[in-house]
Amino acid sequence: MAAPFRPCDHCAKPAVVHNTVIVNGQMNEVHLCAEHAGAAGIQMPGQAPIHQLLGQLAQVAVTRPRGPACPECGHTFHDFKTSGLLGCAACYEAFATTVGPVIERAHGGASEHIGNVPARADDANQRAALLQQLLRELETAVSAEQYERAAQLRDRIKDLRPTASARSDGAA
Amino acid sequence: MSDLTAMMVGDRDVVMSCRVRLARNVSGFPFVGRATHPQRREVLETVRAAAGPDEATVGLVGGGRVGASAAESLAWIDLAALPKRDRQLLWERHLISRQFAEGDSPRAVAVTPDERFSLMVNEEDHVRIQVLRTGNALREAFDAAVRVDATLGSRLDFAFHRKWGYLTACPTNVGCGIRIGVMVHLRALRVTNEIEKVKRAAKELHLAVRGFHGEGSEATGDWFQISNQRTLGVTEVGLLEEFAGRIVPAVVAYEREARRVLLERQRTLLEDRVFRGISLLRSARLLGLDEAMKQLSSVRLGVCLGLIPDVALDTLNRLTIQLQPAHLRSGETGIETDDDERAARARVTRAALSEPS
Repeated sequence: MAAPFRPCDHCAKPAVVHNTVIVNGQMNEVHLCAEHAGAAGIQMPGQAPIHQLLGQLAQVAVTRPRGPACPECGHTFHDFKTSGLLGCAACYEAFATTVGPVIERAHGGASEHIGNVPARADDANQRAALLQQLLRELETAVSAEQYERAAQLRDRIKDLRPTASARSDGAA
Repeated sequence: MSDLTAMMVGDRDVVMSCRVRLARNVSGFPFVGRATHPQRREVLETVRAAAGPDEATVGLVGGGRVGASAAESLAWIDLAALPKRDRQLLWERHLISRQFAEGDSPRAVAVTPDERFSLMVNEEDHVRIQVLRTGNALREAFDAAVRVDATLGSRLDFAFHRKWGYLTACPTNVGCGIRIGVMVHLRALRVTNEIEKVKRAAKELHLAVRGFHGEGSEATGDWFQISNQRTLGVTEVGLLEEFAGRIVPAVVAYEREARRVLLERQRTLLEDRVFRGISLLRSARLLGLDEAMKQLSSVRLGVCLGLIPDVALDTLNRLTIQLQPAHLRSGETGIETDDDERAARARVTRAALSEPS
């Protein structure tokens, strides 16, 4: 028997996606037409590749509900799957094995950047690597309650981050 | 040069506007979605300082307008402090995205006085460089965007990875982080039921087809934004050449051919739609947005085919923005109900399209 007609929550078109979502312990039914489902980021056949690709990876998330976290920002693979967004530059390394294939499929199989390189690329790469290292040290220092060491590390991190004052110093 | 030939310059008969957008993130900060409000404020100050109050940036994006006066320098607009209606106004003018217009997170947009350039800070990525041009002027828009990127990139460390290129919050933007797009008016292809063919062809070419307001808006009207989806494994110049040299000319030719066929084989039907449209817009007392856009579309086609010689294309292009809700409300006081808004829309339309006496 055909399902009874149910309009989309946002317009008069027939709903094609029927979901039950739980927000703050409250269960809500969501009925959406193809367009509004797309706008809400719900995977539909022929939709934006990222959603299809993430859908294909759903299995990974089922077996590892939250997955490992990015050491720099704490973003998890689950966070990525939910939002479609990564948390920081280091996430690209942290999730290389899972996000890498997603990127390649989203870009028609391409796996190498061949376009422009920023003027300060080497500088930036070095700074980012050092920054990452200092952040890890800071975490260790804080958990070991070495507050003096932590304060020193914070100062170095602050110096490394490209703040407005650092810019004008660098330009001088 | 006749009016009709003039409209073909820059493909203005089909291409309303074009846009080049670059997504960048500042190294050393989490991406916007993961950043705390203090971190977002720090990003904002960092980018603002790098863009500078100097006229150089304005000069860069304004083509030959280097040495613009101080009054012409970038206007920084703090979105968090801006009333909702003004945020919507910026969105209706295509200067910011819908997502950027909402929420209370620290973020700002810098806009040049001619509104052909905007710099969004703390949208999905820390930096979104956007250059807009009327008609098909992709190469000019591209050059301006690249100049601003080079200038900002010499003052800021952009997050960059040797394999993945420019790192963006969404992996669909990595690599060049570039979106090249055109807003096209495909009224004739809609009438001849060939839009689906265009969409299919676009999909095969890895292009996105969206509605009048870009991401999240439906491509159900006659205005479409066509943009690239692939940003990795391609070069910026390669994408530009593909777009400016191949894709846009093909779409323009396809729509023009549909217009020619309509004129030749279904002239009465075409004229009926065009003249009904102009009559309605010139006489309506209450005008909804959807109806206004639909009739503007028919009238625009009529103007491009020389059927309505006393209406300028620029007038119609302006109306597509001026008739949006926040624009009407900022132009007139006392608009409270939907009927007030529809009445105001009808007044603005009649005034703009009044017949020469």
